[in-house]
Amino acid sequence: MPARADDRTDDLPAGGLVVRGLRIARGERVVLDDVSFEAPKGTVTALVGPSGSGKSTLLRCLNRLLVPEAGGVLLDGADTAVLEPTELRRRVGLVAQTPTMLSGTVRENLAYGLARDAEAAAEPRLLDALAHAGLAAPFLDRPATELSGGERARVALARALTRGPELLLLDEPTAALDRAAARHVAATVTALARDGLGLVVATHDLAFAADVADRVVALHDGTATSGAPGELLGTAAGEPAP
Amino acid sequence: MSQPAAQLAASAAFVLAAAALAYRQRLGLSRTLLTAALRAAVQLAIVGALIALVFRVPALAVAFVAVMVLTASLTAGSRMRALPGSRRIAVAAIALPALSATGVLLLVGAFDATPRATIPTAGILIGGALLATTLTGRRLVEDLAAGADEIEARLALGDRARDALVPLTRRAIAGTMVPLTDQTRSAGLVTLPGTFVGLVLGGASPATAARVQLTVLLTLLLVQLLSALLTAELVTRAATLPGERVRVPGAVA
Repeated sequence: MPARADDRTDDLPAGGLVVRGLRIARGERVVLDDVSFEAPKGTVTALVGPSGSGKSTLLRCLNRLLVPEAGGVLLDGADTAVLEPTELRRRVGLVAQTPTMLSGTVRENLAYGLARDAEAAAEPRLLDALAHAGLAAPFLDRPATELSGGERARVALARALTRGPELLLLDEPTAALDRAAARHVAATVTALARDGLGLVVATHDLAFAADVADRVVALHDGTATSGAPGELLGTAAGEPAP
Repeated sequence: MSQPAAQLAASAAFVLAAAALAYRQRLGLSRTLLTAALRAAVQLAIVGALIALVFRVPALAVAFVAVMVLTASLTAGSRMRALPGSRRIAVAAIALPALSATGVLLLVGAFDATPRATIPTAGILIGGALLATTLTGRRLVEDLAAGADEIEARLALGDRARDALVPLTRRAIAGTMVPLTDQTRSAGLVTLPGTFVGLVLGGASPATAARVQLTVLLTLLLVQLLSALLTAELVTRAATLPGERVRVPGAVA
């Protein structure tokens, strides 16, 4: 039996996100209710469920681009509702499904909003972020809006990494990719978790989820069940999602 | 035929010709052309009668200007209905620049402080402010919806809501001011603006007409820039939600 995450209330020594009893509504409609799970640093949590099940919506509640109706999200034990939103969003980065490139070069995209933080905007930090996303140094001076979809996704990942996040939220990172490219993303995600980052990945790709996830949160019928990948992905794991 | 009769006969003949032409070409526009012409005739007849009264009773001038501001604000407000408080935004963005500039022109003695001079001056400045407010407001409402992904990207990178909207507001203000400055640049060459034409037809010397027209045109530049800036600021406030979030017009929050 998959255990409900809120049965486990022990503190997480590594820190990370703790989601408690979240209720999310869009207008009058309740999209998700009573969602609880934990996403510790150094682990990968996969949010799975059919399209329209509220994965993207839930992801955006974790960095408060959306505000839940009820319940809360803790970051390292602190209620995210009382954190400065701009600080929260640097600590909990989001990479959208089809990332928007801002005008200018890749360098300008990576350093966006870091004017007051010379250290974060320094060349070695940008190159390090770029390398983590699997891109080489010459990309820095490419015009960002002329990149291909796959390159944009990598730049968006690097852009989130330059902010020195503790957690990353990835929305359908493999949606437009073939199996080989998806495996590359899986390797990147696993490596980032090994470096201590916490990752929450919304995906409808169960094979990808099985590859990367330490824990799975399955969304269905407006609520969530969390557990180990083996319990929740079941026989579907290993099969590419339709 | 007397001159007034000739004016009426000529304009009626022209609009009937336009309607007949539209009918023959099956444009489906004949009725629209005729009702628009009739509406203009009725409105101008009423305004002509009212203004004659207002010129005699100065206290009515204030009410007349107030009606102009109100009408302009309702029009501009309806163009950004997707935002909360759109009418209040329009009133502020139109009335503050247009009425302040009218006041300054009267204070320094650029125009006589009579209803005869004040009402047309205020009317032109209110009309200009209306145009700038409508252009900026409509563009911003469209871009808030179309640019939702870009705004979200900026917010997710740690921008304040206000900062995430700056690229949109800059584009909207620039987009508004380009046609308006073009109009100023072409004055006298491409078009003879209304003030100039009116004064010359009314018997003023062309030199006086040109001077008055220039005063109005240059005042309009500042009034319209201020209207665009005010609209951008007030739309930014209306679109900013608590917690550094942005309201997307038309979407459920």
